[in-house]
Formats: sequence, C-alpha cells, structure tokens
Amino acid sequence: MNTSKILRSVVQALLAPLIAVVVSMAVTSIVVVVAGASVGDFWDVIFKVPSHRNLVNITNQSALIFLAALAAAIGFRMNLFNIGIEGQYTLAAYTAALVAGQAWFPGKVNILVALLVAMAVGAAWAGIAGVLKVTRGVSEVISTIMLNAIAGTVVGYLLSNHGQQYGQGRRTTPIPESSQLAGWTPWKESDGAIWTLVILAVLAGVTISFLINRTRFGFDLRATGTNEDAAVVSGVEVKKMVVISMLISGAIAGLIWMPALFGGADYYGPPFQRTLGFTGIAVALLGRNRPLGIFFGAVLFAWLSEQANPLALVADISPSIVQITQGVVVLAVVVAYEVVRRWTAAYEQRELKAALDREAVSA
Amino acid sequence: MSATVTEQGTPAGKPSGGIVVRDILKQFPGVVANHDVNITIRPGTVHALIGENGAGKSTLMKILYGVQRPDGGTIEVDGKQVRFSSPTDAIKAGIGMVFQHFMLADNLTVLENVVLGAEKLHGIGDEARAEITRISDAFGFGLDPDELVEDLGVGQRQRVEILKVLYRGAQIIILDEPTAVLVPQEVDALFANLRELRASGRTILFISHKLDEVLAIADDITVMRRGETVGEADPKTATKKQLAELMVGSELPSPETGESTVTDQVLLTLDDVGLVDERGRALLKNISFEIHRGEILGIAGVEGNGQEELVETIMGMRKGTGRITLDGKDIDSWDTRERREAGVAFIPADRHRHGLLLDFPLWENRILGHQTKEPSSNGFLITRKAAKESAEQIVADYDVRTPSINTNARALSGGNQQKFIVGREMSSDPSLLIASHPTRGVDVGAQAAIWDHIKRARREGLAVLLISADLDELIGLSDTIEVILRGEIVGTFDPQTVTPQDLGAAMTGGHSTEEGGAR
Amino acid sequence: MRRLSKISVVAVVALIALTGCGNKTDNKNDKTGSTANADVCKTAKGNGPKVGLAYDVGGRGDQSFNDSAYAGLKKAVGDLKATCVEGEATDGEAESARESRLKDMADAGMNPIIGVGFAYSDAVNAVAPNYPDISFGVIDGFDPDQTANKNVAYLGFAENEGSYLVGVAAALKSKAGHIGFVGGVHNDLIKKFEAGYVAGAKATKPDIKVDVKYIQESDLKGFGDPAGGQEAATAEFDNGADVVYHASGASGSGVFDAAVSAGDGKWAIGVDSDQYLTASDAQKPHILTSMLKRVDVATYDMIKSVADGSPLTSYQTYDLKKDGVGYAKSGGFVDDIASKIDEAATKIKSGEIKVPDKP
Repeated sequence: MNTSKILRSVVQALLAPLIAVVVSMAVTSIVVVVAGASVGDFWDVIFKVPSHRNLVNITNQSALIFLAALAAAIGFRMNLFNIGIEGQYTLAAYTAALVAGQAWFPGKVNILVALLVAMAVGAAWAGIAGVLKVTRGVSEVISTIMLNAIAGTVVGYLLSNHGQQYGQGRRTTPIPESSQLAGWTPWKESDGAIWTLVILAVLAGVTISFLINRTRFGFDLRATGTNEDAAVVSGVEVKKMVVISMLISGAIAGLIWMPALFGGADYYGPPFQRTLGFTGIAVALLGRNRPLGIFFGAVLFAWLSEQANPLALVADISPSIVQITQGVVVLAVVVAYEVVRRWTAAYEQRELKAALDREAVSA
Repeated sequence: MSATVTEQGTPAGKPSGGIVVRDILKQFPGVVANHDVNITIRPGTVHALIGENGAGKSTLMKILYGVQRPDGGTIEVDGKQVRFSSPTDAIKAGIGMVFQHFMLADNLTVLENVVLGAEKLHGIGDEARAEITRISDAFGFGLDPDELVEDLGVGQRQRVEILKVLYRGAQIIILDEPTAVLVPQEVDALFANLRELRASGRTILFISHKLDEVLAIADDITVMRRGETVGEADPKTATKKQLAELMVGSELPSPETGESTVTDQVLLTLDDVGLVDERGRALLKNISFEIHRGEILGIAGVEGNGQEELVETIMGMRKGTGRITLDGKDIDSWDTRERREAGVAFIPADRHRHGLLLDFPLWENRILGHQTKEPSSNGFLITRKAAKESAEQIVADYDVRTPSINTNARALSGGNQQKFIVGREMSSDPSLLIASHPTRGVDVGAQAAIWDHIKRARREGLAVLLISADLDELIGLSDTIEVILRGEIVGTFDPQTVTPQDLGAAMTGGHSTEEGGAR
Repeated sequence: MRRLSKISVVAVVALIALTGCGNKTDNKNDKTGSTANADVCKTAKGNGPKVGLAYDVGGRGDQSFNDSAYAGLKKAVGDLKATCVEGEATDGEAESARESRLKDMADAGMNPIIGVGFAYSDAVNAVAPNYPDISFGVIDGFDPDQTANKNVAYLGFAENEGSYLVGVAAALKSKAGHIGFVGGVHNDLIKKFEAGYVAGAKATKPDIKVDVKYIQESDLKGFGDPAGGQEAATAEFDNGADVVYHASGASGSGVFDAAVSAGDGKWAIGVDSDQYLTASDAQKPHILTSMLKRVDVATYDMIKSVADGSPLTSYQTYDLKKDGVGYAKSGGFVDDIASKIDEAATKIKSGEIKVPDKP
C-alpha cells in the first residue's frame, strides 16, 4: 500500500516533464523535416555520447543557467515576474569585472570583493523595480524590461568610453592572474576545465532551497506567492517582502556570470555571454521554480545547446533549431502539469467514490 | 446572465415549469458533491430545498442553471429531458437564477441593468421601460426603471435581480439563499413578492437553511444531506425539529452562552476610531467601544456597513484615525504581525481568501498567521516537527476530518477548514479573538463545535469581537451587541432582551434604535 | 484555472524573450532548408584543401557577411578543388561553444579553418596553439593577447576606403547638399565606416552637411533592428538629407524602407554586399550603390594561400589595392558619376589620398 503510494507519486512527478519532453521532441522533429533535413541525423547529433570536452562545457553552462533560473524562481515563488535578470547580470558582470580588473585587493580577496560587488549591483538594479512597485505601483514586468534596456545601454556607453581597446571592440581591464582560478581539469587540458566557481551554483541552490523551505522568511514568501491576501492577514508586510525578494533575486542574478569571469573569461568584453537571463526564466518555468527541477532543466538546456553545436557541420541544420525544442518544452511542461493534475484529481475522485460506495454497502 | 432569449415563455396564469431531477451525480476532485439526488418540483409552487451548508444545494442549483454539467442522472423540464451546457441553455428553457451575491452595476439605472445582455428582447428604450414597469407593477416590486442602482437598498436590489430573470422570460426562478442578505422586514417583503409570482403560475425553487422561513413560504420541501436528497416534507405538518433532524440527523444546537463571564478588566478599547477611503469618503466614523476579558461583543449590521473595515483596522491591515488600546497598550503604530504576536487571533470571514493557503498542506496552514511564534518557528527557522505536532493536536481536538495533516487544505470540506482555522487561532492562546462570521458555511455539527470552543475560551477570559450576519448566533453568543450602519455604531443592545426584529430595524436605520441600550 | 492562466502568461513572456533573442532563427531556418540542397560542401569531392568555415550568428543565407564568405568558399571549391564543412553560431552562445566548433573542425582534419566575424578572435586564439599544423583565419579578427600565433591570419578590411568611395557618390548625387549616415552599433569598427564616408563626401563637396546616427550604443542588436534603422534614417531624411548610407547589417532594410517612404529622389546606400541584388522591388529604385566588403575575396585568398603551401598569417588588410573593398554599380544609378568615383579610387590606391579611419 505504502510502496504503491510512493510509486504513484513518483510517476505523477515524472509524468508531466516526460510528456513535455516527448511533445517537444515530436514538434522539433516536424520542424527538422520541414527544414528539409534528416530527423535521424538530428537526433543522432543531440543524443550522441558527449565527449569529455562536451561534458565540461555542459557542466559549466548548467551552472550559469541554474543561477539564472534560480534568480527567476525566487521572484516567481512570490508572484513577482523579474524579467530583468538579463539587465541585472549584465550590469553586475560588467561592474564586477571592472572592480576585479583594478586589482585593488590581492589574489583571492579580489575575487571575494568582486562577488560581493556583483551581488550588490544585481540586487540594487532589481531593487529599483521593487521600490518602484511598492511606492508607485509600477508593474515589475514593465520596469524590469525597461531596466534591461537601460543596463545594456549604460554598460555599452561605459565600455566604449572607458574600456580598453580590444580589436574592434572594447573590454574592461583583465583581472590579474593571481585572481584567475584554474578550475578543475578532470580529463586532458585541451578538454577544458570545470570552473571553480561552479560551486557558487551549488551553494546558491542549497541556500535558496533552505531559505524558501525551512525559514520563516521563506514561508512568508511562499504564502505571499500563493495567496497574498491571506499573507497580509497573517501579518506579512507584502511591500517589504516585494523589495526583499527582488533584492535576493537580483543578488543571485548578479552571480550568474561569475563562474565564467573567474574561470577564463578574465574580462567583460565581446565574448560576454548574453541572453542567459531569458534562458533562466524559461528554465525556472520548466523546473516549476523548485531548485531540483531547475537543476534538471538547466542540464537539459545546457545539453541541448552543447550537443547542437556540430549540427550544421554534421546534419546541415542550424543549431538554432534547438531553441525551438527549448521553447516547446517550456510550453509543453506548463500544459502537461495541468493535464496530469487533472488526471490525478480524477483518479483521486474515483478512489473517493469507491470508498464512499464501500461505506454505503457496509452501512 | 448575459444571454439572450428568443421567446417569452408561456403566458402568465397557467402554471408551468415543473422539474424532475433524477439520480444526479456530480464529482469534483476529491469530493462527491452530489449523488442520488432526486427532486420533483410541481409547476406553480414554491419548492424549498434545504440542507446544511455543504450539503450539495449549491452544486445542484448550478447544475440546474447550466453552470456545471452533471456526471450522471437526468433533468426534465415540463416533461422534456434537457441537457444544459451553459446558462444560456437554461434561460432558453425558462429557468432563471438569482444569486446570493448580486450581479448589478451600481452606476447604471435599473433599466440599464435589466436590459444589459438582453437588448434584443425589447430594445433599450421605451419598450423596455414599459415592460419593466409592467413586471414591476404586476408583482408589486415598486421599482422605478430610471433609478440608479447605487441608490437602492438591498431588498430593492434583490427585486431588480428577480426582475432581470422575469424580463428574460423565466418560468422557473431559482433563488439561492435569498434571505441571507436581508433583515427580517425585507424578508417579509420578499415573501410577498414570491407569493405573487407563484400566483402568476411561476415555479420557484427556494434554497435555504433557515427553517422558519422555509415553513412560512414553501409548498413542498426537499431535504439534502451530504450531497444526496434524504427526504421530503410537507410544510403544513412538518415541524422545525423534524426538518432539522432530517438535515443533520441530530438535534439543533443552540448558541446560548449561559451565564455571564464578563470581567471588569478591559482588554480592547476603541476610542473614536475612524477610517476614510482613498476618495475621502468615511468608511468608519466615531467608533468607540470596550471589550472586557470574558466578554463577547457582537457587531450586527447589514453586510457592507463597515464590519470588514472595522476588523481590518483592528488587525492593523488598514490605518485609521483615533486610538486603539490592547491590554492597556496603545497599538496604533503596530503592524499586523505585532498585533498578532500580542495575542490577537483572527477568524476571517472569507476563509479561502484570508484564512488558508489552499494548496499548502494542513500543517503549513497551522503556521499561517503564527509564523513568528512557537510552535511554528523559532523566529528564524520553521520548526517543522513542532508545527506538525500542533497540527495533529488541532485535528484531534477540533474534530477536523482529514486523512492526514499532509493533505492540502483545499481537499477539506468548508466546515472542516473552518474548524481547523478556529483550532489554529484558539491554540495560539490568544487574549482577543476577532471572529468574523465564524460559522458561515459550515454544517450544524461544526457550528455547534465552534460555538462551544468560543464559549469555552470566553469562560477562560478571552475577549471576543463577534461579527455575524446570523442574528440568532449574535443574540445567542454575545454579551453585548452593537449595531453598525454606514460605518457608525447606531445602537447598543442587550441580547437578553432584544429581538431579531429590533436588531433588523436598527440595522436598516429604522425606527426603534438608541433606547435599546443595555449598559 | 487562475493559476494556470498565470503560469501561461509567464510562459508566453519567457517564450517571447527566447524567440525575441533568436528572432533571426526563423528566417534562417527557412534559408537553411531552401539552400540545403545547394550546399556546395555536400557535393564537393576534390583533393584540394579541406576547409572548415565557421559562420557567425545568422549563418549561410543571411544575404550579407556569411553569404559572402560562402561565395568565397564556393569559388575555392570550383578553382582549388577544395572540400569543406560548415559550422554556425547561435545567438547568445557561450565562448566555449565557439571553441568547440573550431576544435570539432580541427579534429576532423580541416585546414584551413576560417571564423567569420571578429567574435571568433578569442576562440581562435585559444584553440590555435593546440593545432600548430592547422592554419586559422578570422574575418575582421584581431589578436587578443601579446603572444603572436604563427598559424593565425587576421583578415581585416579597409572599410574606410570603400566608405570613402560611396561618400563621394553620395556627395555627387545629393541635390540638397545634405547627406546622412546610420550606424548599427557605435563601436570602433562602425566608426571606421563613418570616417571614410564623411571624408569622401567632404572631399567632394567641402560644405556638405552630414547627419550621423547610431541605432545602439553597444548592444549588437543594433545590427538586427530594421525598425531602429528605419527610425534613424527617417529622422535624417526629415532633417533634409537626401542620401543615407547605412553600416548596420540587417537593420539596413529599415533604412531602405525609410528611403522608399521619403519618396522620389531620396537614396540609400547599402553595405558589405551588393544589396541592390537582394532588395525588394520597391526598394531597388532607391538603392544608389553599396559599399562592398569582399569577404569572399579574403576567404578565397586564405584558402588559396593554404593550397599554395604558404598560408597567410598575422594581420592582412584587404583594401582597394587588393580589391578587398569597392562599390557596386547594380541598378546603373552611379553610371554617370562612375568616372569620378574611380578617379578617387585610383588616388587612394596610389596613396595620394589618405583615408582616415577615425571620425
């Protein structure tokens, strides 16, 4: 009885993501066919056993995506739609790179200071949206989108006016060698290194998970997210919560690019990886805003992007096609969860009916 | 109610609109709302459907009006089997519905409200006005088509709702708890209207759980319990006691509190409390009263006269003027959490909106409102074990019927949800309980249990502010009753001597008021 | 139900965000499909150099930069019996993805490997030392560090010289004595276009007025924002300019539309490739000329150097002399002034005119 119950709950938990993945694979296959390429080739490339180099890259990218999704999830858990992760991490990455590049502090201290700066900048940028919401009633969706645009322009302006000449672009002064982290090379050196600060993703995941599930603050946050009126009645000061949640979300967003920065990027410049903020929003949805779900979502997205790289080379399809897979899987998961919820409800209903009938017979 | 109708039904006078309901089954996730429901409604009668809240009346009514589709069983109207997929179909079949909560636009006139969505019937001009006047005169509604709805009283608004369904040609009118929002005088007026309607040959399905009213108006009575129809009764011969026993299978509980336990220690003082909305209109004016330890102060009033605002001001959710003192301390500057920490417990009127996190398990709902205190948390961390133990205790002590404390609050019936809320608030060892409609929508068993818990706490020195629309509950439980009207206290009554009629008059600003004072 | 709709809203927002960033994806997929059969790499079976061509975002079918590189590749397949593989960047991809792409090609034995676009500079710099026997080329590339790589060529262009020529054309065609420039992103590269264009115009008509506008300060989406291009160009036309030169990639179609809306006698000048050939019928009568940046020449040159056994290395500048830049004559609108433009070209080649590369 008990094991079957556990089994059922496991099936219920996995069913929706499974359906979503199957649906998105089907849709992608159709798109591949329409584009005139071979479906077999396509999936061969995506599902080929990843090389050591691929594994390193998937790990590194998963960490960045995980941080981005975590930042989004904190807001979502409280019904705050922080669409501004993109701007927050761009500004934070720039500022942290700028500060670290100045080498005001020696070696590892420099890293720590830069991390704090990144969190502070991310938090402050997100905090603007939070404060606007509670004082002026500005929807955070609007304000964060605007702040994204402003962040991009500000960084661009500062970079092109105060940056170091770098080919035809500009960059910040590279961080000193003493502050660069070698990372962990599980295989050959040419396969690349797993960034040291990937650990930030693990730490942030555990911390946020603990904060949300085990602390009073987390309870208040979840309560506000699920029923704001009831939260107010229970003594939660929603305005304060909005600002604090935005600050935390922004602080996590500020960390997004840190593993890469200290893992080999060394400066803010043209190779800076954009659009992680939006990827994060999608992955947060995919992972139902739960750290564990986000983890699997991040790995899935990183896997798809990395494995898709040789698509043009091998299967003559644009690797961008996996963005369709990624988009569909997010949409499908939303629908699938609702479908599974209804199935489950119907099942419980039948159970209850059966129980009622038994009662009626025995009565 | 936005549907249009193509024909006008049968001419008045000849009874029509008989309904036969057979073996209706309706299931919701986790609940069987209706099963084995069988009712035969004779045309041209007032048929009462009674049952405790949660007995399945509302579900049945929604099925009859096409809002929900049954999972089994059949419905016949005038001998023809029907299948409604939306209220539009029900309206076409001549069924109209008056909801408990009115669906009227305040800033429109009676005429505009009535023709809204039914413009094709008689246009929106003089023809429509003439039709409205005709219906109003025929049934003695006394409505002026050009009056603004915001200027109308509750009883008049209800008549506008009834007029709306008649205008759309309804032969069968379903009234959902129509008296819940009315004071006794208005109830009499409503019944007069209903008799007129019956005389015109229309069929009325009257849903209620108030037995006096049912006996006064109904031709036939069907009783529901736990989702099924359990019996029929003839109002000419049936007694209240018999009906009540059919409804609950036990005797009616009484809210009587017994002897006074009021102490001389003042716990809560409101001194000239006022509140204005953002447009500067007064929601509360000059509210002053005291509640002693061991005292239950009842607030009577027609809904929407400032009760909600009063509660929210005391809870610190709204910032008013004047002074509020709790146990000798001025709490005006305290926020809601500080007030709760100081021992204010709260049973909100709308438990789904204000009292529960429906998709959270019960044990987490134990924490809600008590996040900062043991056993919920140690200030920073949620103490899961202690919270779960406390939740188990509440489930046991307050007879909350649930498979486990890990069940989501949504899965529980309304009565059990309410019992859990009461248990939660009581187990925080409060000094003041603000109870807003504590037994609304719960079954008789739960109602009695909740009354018992409030009475016991009162004996132990709890001060209670009780807000209720149920005058019997107010009179039975309270040590003092204040009547609120348009945000002001307009009278103070002694429950030992006051009658529901007196209260009703005061609540509507009628004649006998001030001199009923008890102190 | 309420919860579902709320989630749906977020999903849609996220999707818009995703597709908004990858909006070039759609048309590209079409192109990939339609040109898949025409892919020269599928049929090439020579014994010449094995070429790895890594495109920038947009890939083959962008009717610009990447296609131009492909044209060079095609020529190499025909003339040098080259074989080839291709890779393509996605928007917002990681640096490691670019490196992986190059490594995949290197591991597959490609030589040379050419990255199209300056974004490959860092990746090539990281990968090249591991493959000392393979020659790498980066279009518009540069060496990011002090350590020179013996096996990397940075294939740059004298865009200022080409822009000078279309500046001459603009000045000669302008009746109002007032012309405009629309840059995609305000970076050093695009400033080079601006500098040459302004110099060419002023040299022809010293009192000419030149409006300069940039779509974005630094965000690369300035190269993919036709609405932004249209807005900037319309402002310049409204201000009295009658010829507008754009250096804004895919945003240029907006500039052309602005010229169409501005009416007869208003001109736009294209960039990188001969944009008259790919413009719509409505736009064609307004495309005066295009500044040609011969990525195909550089690509072919790189492949040929490997085939000849003396691979290009270090900085290579494709200027007028090397036929690396030029101007287009399609449409015949500059036929009457071609002699004057060619005269300027001759002077640049001879060194008589020095074209500035900064405004």
